Amino acid sequence: MGERYMETAQTESPRVASLITSREKVAPLITVSVVGQQFMNTTDLDALSVVDCDEPVGLVTRQKFMLTLFRRYGFELYGKKRIIAIADTAPLIIHEEERLDVAMDKALERQDKDIYDEIIVVDDADRYKGYLSVKQMIMQQSTILANSVMQKEIARERARELERMSQVKSQFIANVTHELRSPVNAIIGLAEVMKISTEKGQTDRMKERLSLLTTSAINLRAIITNILDLSKIEAGKMEVFNDGFDLVPLLHEVAETARILAGGKPVDVNVTGTIGSLVILSDMVKVRQIMINLLSNAAKFTERGSITVDLTQGNGEVTISVSDTGIGIRREDGEKIFEAFGQVENAHIKQHEGTGLGLTITRNLVAMLGGRIAMSSSFGEGTTFTVTLPISPISH
Amino acid sequence: MKAKKILIIDDDDRHLLTAKELLEEEGYLVMTHNLGFGSTNIIKAVRPDLVLLDVNMPALSGDKLATVISGQEATQNIPIVFYSSNDEDSLRRSVRETRVAGYICKGNILDLKNKVAYYLEQSGNCRTASRY
Repeated sequence: MGERYMETAQTESPRVASLITSREKVAPLITVSVVGQQFMNTTDLDALSVVDCDEPVGLVTRQKFMLTLFRRYGFELYGKKRIIAIADTAPLIIHEEERLDVAMDKALERQDKDIYDEIIVVDDADRYKGYLSVKQMIMQQSTILANSVMQKEIARERARELERMSQVKSQFIANVTHELRSPVNAIIGLAEVMKISTEKGQTDRMKERLSLLTTSAINLRAIITNILDLSKIEAGKMEVFNDGFDLVPLLHEVAETARILAGGKPVDVNVTGTIGSLVILSDMVKVRQIMINLLSNAAKFTERGSITVDLTQGNGEVTISVSDTGIGIRREDGEKIFEAFGQVENAHIKQHEGTGLGLTITRNLVAMLGGRIAMSSSFGEGTTFTVTLPISPISH
Repeated sequence: MKAKKILIIDDDDRHLLTAKELLEEEGYLVMTHNLGFGSTNIIKAVRPDLVLLDVNMPALSGDKLATVISGQEATQNIPIVFYSSNDEDSLRRSVRETRVAGYICKGNILDLKNKVAYYLEQSGNCRTASRY
């Protein structure tokens, strides 16, 4: 990729028309002494093209002109002559659409004494357009070279970055593929063994399988929701619809889902704090998604003990904390958990189910609702996530 | 005739439960193990006719485990088949790299029954042949 960039930079070498230094010219029949005055008065005038009715017929450079004129008897010898008599009548003339690098090559092919002479530029009809300063062309060319080296380096860096991104993406897709297929295949298998149990009239087994089936379906739904949410967030398409709703029944509803997800594990799920009702103005769907993510994480990582959802209010805010007695999070992993793909490990040896996107999405959703999220954990003992949301978006 | 013995190794209990039951319906003797670790000892003790091995497992993946099993003299002749939710391309690659007998995709019950029968028959005749 870097190589291609280099080529592009070269083919895009500027046309000389854009580099014309000056359009100064003088008629061929003007006397040398008048031209001398002009060079004396205009100290930054490096050259004059000798142009006869739009047609360039010669070039006078300051350096060569001065050398001729100020040589012994120079002025006396040439002062009254026409300028064309002492001009270079075979200067390098190039077309205005010529590329800078080609023009440079032509300029440097000249004899040593002429190498820094200005170059005359003409159009399609050979009409005079101006002249180029070789000094400026060199400067221009070296800038282009420097840029192209820089662009090459930028392109290389970008290629490396793309390579890294594509690796992360393939890893992510491999994980997601498995995470989506696994519960679907479990559901298919469970439905099949349910059929067998039904045919044999094994009611107890049917009950056990039905609850596994429900858990698998809930897990699958959560994974799908998270993938869709992440793509919405990344595309900037996630919208907030605020409405008044009661948080308390919502928390009880989510707690019930967590109980299902905990399955047969000895884990109590409790809702504490504000009892009765607590109406807030927020986006209910997103609040539910936030709570589902936190509680399904708690259910996933807690083998025994309890999961407690606590609700408090104050200062125009509600604070919901989800505490579990699960495996906890190592201090060094604490920073990573909210990062997208932070949990993405090698799919073949992944420790736990899930796409590793839940907390990234949760943090995004909390921010969208004007709230904040914090985590505290002690490894091996449990984790607490605390979400604070404004009671009304206007209050913040 | 004595029932063929199948050992299923998978970290996900749901897949163990369903595969076990579905294969028992076919008349096989099915044992399960829900962790990669300890598998070789179980294989040595049980001497299954076929091992169904999940690929994605915590800490010790199925492809690593397959290499371990086929690398030990006591277990190298036990045919292994991957049983996984990974996509088929990735499973084919795993099969090629580990030289196990083949793979079965989870979620296709008819395929599970047919292929298990096929691999058991293969292992009775020639262990290296692989049609799938």
